[in-house]
Amino acid sequence: MPDIYTPDWYEAVKTAINDAVDTMSDTPEGAWTICVEIMGDGASPYTPAEGMRRFLVRIEAGRCLWYRELDGDPDERLDYRFTAPASVFDGIAAGLDDPIDVVLHGAIKVRGDMRFLLRQAELVNVLLGAYTSGVDTTWPQGRPPYGSTGAVTK
Amino acid sequence: MSTTSYDAVIIGAGHNGLTLGAYLARAGLSVVVLERRHEEGGGLCTEEITLPGFLHNIHANYHTFVGMAPPVTDLDVRGHGIEYVRPEVQMASVFDDGTALCIYQDIDRTVEAMAEFSPDDAATFKRLYDEAHGFVDLLLGTLMYQPPLSVKELTKALSTFGVDKRSEFLSVKLRRETINQFLDAHFTHPRIKAHLAFHGAVCSYTNDVPGLAIGFPLLVGKINNWHLCLGGSHRLAHALWRDLAQHGGVMIADAEVDRILVDGGRAVGVRLSDGEEIEARRLVASTVSAEQTFLEFLDESVVGADLAHKVRHEIAHKDWSLFSVHLAMGALPHYEAAAFNPDVDRAWVVNLGVDSTDHFDTDWKTIRAGGLVSPQPNAAVNTLYDPTDAPEGCATGLLRQFAPYDLAEGGAAGWDGIGRSYGHRCIEAWRRYAPNLTDEVILDWEVFTPLDIARKLPNMVKGDWMMGEISLANMLDQRPLPELGQYRTPVQGLYMAGSTQHPHGFITFGPGYNALQVIADDLDLDKWWIQI
Repeated sequence: MPDIYTPDWYEAVKTAINDAVDTMSDTPEGAWTICVEIMGDGASPYTPAEGMRRFLVRIEAGRCLWYRELDGDPDERLDYRFTAPASVFDGIAAGLDDPIDVVLHGAIKVRGDMRFLLRQAELVNVLLGAYTSGVDTTWPQGRPPYGSTGAVTK
Repeated sequence: MSTTSYDAVIIGAGHNGLTLGAYLARAGLSVVVLERRHEEGGGLCTEEITLPGFLHNIHANYHTFVGMAPPVTDLDVRGHGIEYVRPEVQMASVFDDGTALCIYQDIDRTVEAMAEFSPDDAATFKRLYDEAHGFVDLLLGTLMYQPPLSVKELTKALSTFGVDKRSEFLSVKLRRETINQFLDAHFTHPRIKAHLAFHGAVCSYTNDVPGLAIGFPLLVGKINNWHLCLGGSHRLAHALWRDLAQHGGVMIADAEVDRILVDGGRAVGVRLSDGEEIEARRLVASTVSAEQTFLEFLDESVVGADLAHKVRHEIAHKDWSLFSVHLAMGALPHYEAAAFNPDVDRAWVVNLGVDSTDHFDTDWKTIRAGGLVSPQPNAAVNTLYDPTDAPEGCATGLLRQFAPYDLAEGGAAGWDGIGRSYGHRCIEAWRRYAPNLTDEVILDWEVFTPLDIARKLPNMVKGDWMMGEISLANMLDQRPLPELGQYRTPVQGLYMAGSTQHPHGFITFGPGYNALQVIADDLDLDKWWIQI
């Protein structure tokens, strides 16, 4: 079981996504470059309180082709950018929070053509399902929800 | 006659035409925006129609998409001198028993005010607001500032995402329900329901029309986002013109379009009423009505008999309009209901005495039959938050009464005979709640009838201030007709970019901004404004 936000964990997520997409009968053509921004919020021990982790993800025909962590803002032309506090992403990865609920309530800011995401709602559900429950994750500094002082609760 | 040439010729210098023009100019196109009137702005007109020094927003007064509409930022309207004010007390309802319900910029204060009437409804409102405010960004990005999806695509997505199970308020079934049904399902107190219905009506969402419940949560999500434009709404038009001009675009006033010129099925320019022809090398965009565009500016042989028939007979317009009274006053109104809540005297917009949705329902029936209702107007006093709009110690007032365009007796022309007397009745109605507004305090007043709307702004057909009915059948990609719902037209190079299109009228910037996306796709323009 990989530790959260390690290369092994991302590989596991990628595999889970692609396995799930492979079960779909119909996936959209096209390729999309997505930036995921995880903002430190002082609650998550996995992202520095004032820091930000950025990941670039490439999706082609629904499948995750590659991902990489970035040092700064991406140079590539983006199709989407998802931005949220670290504890929000942690909560989703831990299966505590439903990602659609989180987006609906505005906790994740989505930039990009929302029409495509709505038209491909089924694919979006599959991708999110793989992210939230496709990987057995370990949480070396504690699993969300964290303690009220920022301390770890397991 | 001389012929000048531009990449883009835009008909109409309202905020949608200017917005489209400014974006295209920034994208490097040569742009001309042609305006029939003597100045830019369309509905964004501010004039001294009563006494010198009193600035009246003749038509558009409420700026509710500030901070939401991309052009406000992209075109740097604030950098061009615009200053918006977001009133602390956004609006209120005053009732016959001397009570009042205030809606504040601070939503917690609104909840407290509602709790005076019903703690349960106040708690429900807070949950609705929080939920709606959460997804307002998402809905705006999805529904307002993109070329439209179809209702079918939208409902399918909502179903796939299981929104019905996740949301207390948002549901697929809302596409069949009225705002009344939504309010009855969630709220109990008639005055809270009346105020929320009033807010919907001022946004043109009539509470008894099936299907409009689908948009109601979005309205609630921006209920405290009403802004006024310091110095008058026209300043926004001026700011947009400045941006256009600074990027090489041209706006020509007193330039009435007579014909759209077509060659080989492609729009290639326009001819003005004085005979001057202006060449459009890449596109013509019309921000005026579909009726003007397809029935007046083009021959039926170009438009096609089928589309011409549909434009003539199938485009749906609002079944009520606005009757306005603009007042120059020597004092601010002082409401009797201030004894109940002093903040009502600082409310920007006040709903006078409509205390139930039944009241609205009865009024809509009368108005749709061409009748005049006993006036219960809403009253806006811009001076409360913009002291520059009147001489020191004085104030402007704006009464708005929902009214028919075609009167049962005398048709639209009948307004010229009865406007003044109906205006007097509206003022009397205001006095019942603010008795200090005596004849001595009211220095002068002028009416602006539904017929005046159509005369001054002929793109607002039959006084239709939203340039198209607000109903589910006339929303998204169905607006104004399925053939025109994606801003393109059967004439190559001719686009529709005004409020006839999705999303609708009001100062949304949406039609111009969304047409821009389609034009940019067709012309392969660099979308400098898309920053992901």
